[in-house]
Amino acid sequence: MMSRKEYALQQLKGLGNDVLGQLVKEEVPNIKVPSRGTGNIIFNEDKRYYELGERYGTRSLGNVKQIKKMAQMMYVANFCKNLVNIQKTATMREMYYVSEGWDVSFDNQQESNNLSEDIEVTLGISREDLGLMPEEDGASVYGDITLKDDDVEINAMKAGKSGYTISPTIDEVEIVDHNVKRVIAVETMGMYHRMVQEKAYNRFDTLIVGLKGQAARATRRFIKRANTELNLPVYICNDGDPWGFHIAMVIISGSAKLAHVNHDLATPDAKFLGVTASDIVNYDLPTDKLKDIDVSRLKELAADPRYNGTQWQTEIKKMLKIGKKAEQQAFSKYGLEYVVDTYLPAKLAEIENQEIE
Amino acid sequence: MEQNTTELFEEFKELTASEFFRRNKQMLGFSGKIRSLTIVFHELITNSLDAAEEAGILPEISIELKRLGKDHYLLKHADNGPGIPENFITKVYCQMFAGSKFRNIQSRGQQGLGCSGCVLLSQMTTGQPVTIRSRYKENNEYKGVEMKVKLDVKKNTGIILERKEIETDRTGSGIEIEFKEVSYSLSEQGAYEYIRRTVIGNPHARIIFKDPAGKKYTFERATDKIPPLPKEVLPHPKGVTADDIIHLCKTTPKKRFKNLLMDSLSRVSQAKIKEVQEATNIDMNKRPKSITWQEAEAVVKQFDLMKFMAPPTSGLKPIGSDQIEKGINEILLPEFSTAITRKPKAYRGGVSFIIEAGIAYGGKSGRSIGIQKKAEIMRFANRVPLTFDQGSCAITEALKSIDWKRYGIRDLDNAPITVFVNIISTNVPYLSTGKQSVAPEEEIVQEIRQATMKIARRLEKYIRVKKAAKNEAMRSKIFEDLVPVVITQSALLAEKDVPEYDKIMDKVTHKAKIMDMQQRLKQPEIEPMQIKTEEPKMRIKTEEED
Repeated sequence: MMSRKEYALQQLKGLGNDVLGQLVKEEVPNIKVPSRGTGNIIFNEDKRYYELGERYGTRSLGNVKQIKKMAQMMYVANFCKNLVNIQKTATMREMYYVSEGWDVSFDNQQESNNLSEDIEVTLGISREDLGLMPEEDGASVYGDITLKDDDVEINAMKAGKSGYTISPTIDEVEIVDHNVKRVIAVETMGMYHRMVQEKAYNRFDTLIVGLKGQAARATRRFIKRANTELNLPVYICNDGDPWGFHIAMVIISGSAKLAHVNHDLATPDAKFLGVTASDIVNYDLPTDKLKDIDVSRLKELAADPRYNGTQWQTEIKKMLKIGKKAEQQAFSKYGLEYVVDTYLPAKLAEIENQEIE
Repeated sequence: MEQNTTELFEEFKELTASEFFRRNKQMLGFSGKIRSLTIVFHELITNSLDAAEEAGILPEISIELKRLGKDHYLLKHADNGPGIPENFITKVYCQMFAGSKFRNIQSRGQQGLGCSGCVLLSQMTTGQPVTIRSRYKENNEYKGVEMKVKLDVKKNTGIILERKEIETDRTGSGIEIEFKEVSYSLSEQGAYEYIRRTVIGNPHARIIFKDPAGKKYTFERATDKIPPLPKEVLPHPKGVTADDIIHLCKTTPKKRFKNLLMDSLSRVSQAKIKEVQEATNIDMNKRPKSITWQEAEAVVKQFDLMKFMAPPTSGLKPIGSDQIEKGINEILLPEFSTAITRKPKAYRGGVSFIIEAGIAYGGKSGRSIGIQKKAEIMRFANRVPLTFDQGSCAITEALKSIDWKRYGIRDLDNAPITVFVNIISTNVPYLSTGKQSVAPEEEIVQEIRQATMKIARRLEKYIRVKKAAKNEAMRSKIFEDLVPVVITQSALLAEKDVPEYDKIMDKVTHKAKIMDMQQRLKQPEIEPMQIKTEEPKMRIKTEEED
């Protein structure tokens, strides 16, 4: 099987050949770019994530507005090809500055970001495979897993209390070994450190992933790999509010904006553990009143195809009914250890239908 | 203290025409320092052009203006016309209304006031006599005479002070004449501009002008074609007044009134005479001399009620659109020019006229005010530039009433455009004796509008194509810059050589379309007129020897 690198190079060369081929036939060359408009982002019920539909736009050499984009695209493609060849990466910001030296430049970074996404969708390759990296690092991971990044082997239990930080180049990282049965991702670093201190990794044989809010692409890629390569079930534990729900959902079913790479990022089998509206009621958690913006966001979620499942619909309705939300840390009401000692074992047992500890 | 009536009337004397105009010089157009000098140029140039054309000579006029002091100038004028026989010289230069007659013909000239008016102005402001040179042919022999003359205002004749014969081998006339209370100006109303416009309206004339600074301008002719002479046409019944009829009756040798009407007016047939007789009960066989004012009035009133064929137009000789374009092009070097000569029309039902219009856009068109270009209206009547009283003129009124936005001119006042309008008629309805503006007769205003709008459409098309061509060129530039980028980058990506892409380049830059547009925007080659200017030679001042 072709490596990701070989595949990327083949696709990039193909883009150049496509243009030259049309030229030789004395046709005005054009490039077909799959549409990323909302009309072309479709929720695939079977795969349970968003993907792009059949629609595409054309970038023609004969169109005064499109030719500039076409020129930019070719430059970016060559820039990426070079990155892949020399096995380096560059951030989007770096590429934006490099482009200053090109015969055609970008007006702002948003323009160059959009163009990178154009190339991703056109070639069907994620930008990480093209050597383009996001600025931010991924989440923190704690637990018994050994990774090999270049020549360095790291065990995520021997990398300090903050654990292993997921690199933006996570696809270059090889998973050497592990001794866990599941993955628990939590929204806040507060909860992450609570779980590390209470030795949750031992008690539940789990990797602990601290998401730091909305999961970065690298984090989602890591979770996907853990789920598919290592066959580990994934659980997500966030705040009990619409924002926490959606952080989980993006990990599960992907975002609309990245529909073109969701096949690499979405983990449809990941499960939302809590905090659910039922938890708020059942555990009698300290709450805040739902704000207007929370209410309208909940209603949006209810209409979103990713939330079609009966459990989601029930929980959303319940939260709207009680008009309350609660943070993960609200369990501290019963003592700092309560969440690891009582709440998590109960929830895991419920989902896995077995005693965990 | 009371005066006797007879004493009061002692002052009441009969005025000669000269005396009348001495007291009312503004009626000759001489009011204001700049205007007075322009009118002098106008009179002299107009006479020269008329005389040369009538004799079938391509006109050549030279004028030199020397400054003698503040508002004090010496003007030397000479032409290559047929000259003036010696015994007519004082009539032409010193007598008001000499040889004026009832002629229904298209002419530049005035009522016979022109040259003598200038002499009158000179005499009134300087008291000096004028020097006149005339070279003419008599019995196949060239004769030349130079004389100093004064004008006897009281008697409306000339007094010859000096006279000498000069040897010559050509014809022509000229005058040396001094003025005070006039001033030379380069403004739109000034003498220089008057000459420039004369050249545009008369591309067959060559004019050499030396200005007070000693700078010599030579306006070469744009064509060697002498315009055909206008023909006299009989007045149309709709255009005559009771006074005209009485005048005809007094001067005719005809025995019967009806023959007089049929022979002296156009479009009057036996049937029309019968119609007039039935309506007015005037005996059409009466002797013309016995026609009374009341009868003449009745006839005119009846003419107004009747239908006549439009007046004959064969007598009108327009400049012609080709010649106008030539004139405009050579002087204004526009990026676009167009002109039209319309078919004859009639105003007041009986006076025929022709409107000619031209538009020059870009280049030196328009008036320059600082670095800004303002629109310029050039008005002409029978080829003569009208420089004063612009506001009340039919031409101005017609042009201002046009919605120029429809023709691609967003703001007429601030566009680099010169609009030329010439009205040709046997009887141009001037608003005042100064003859500087045309009365806004409804038919004339309407016709000027129609003519101008017709050519403005051509301008609009030009401006539109030009704009489109500019857009295309800008568009094309983008492709010329980016196509090589896309293709070399594609080749780099594919790791192949850069292929031939000329054909694709032509296709995407719309080369064919651009070529076609350039073809359409192409203006005829303009040979710019060399307005030869010569600076005065430096004179080395030397100390006078003892």
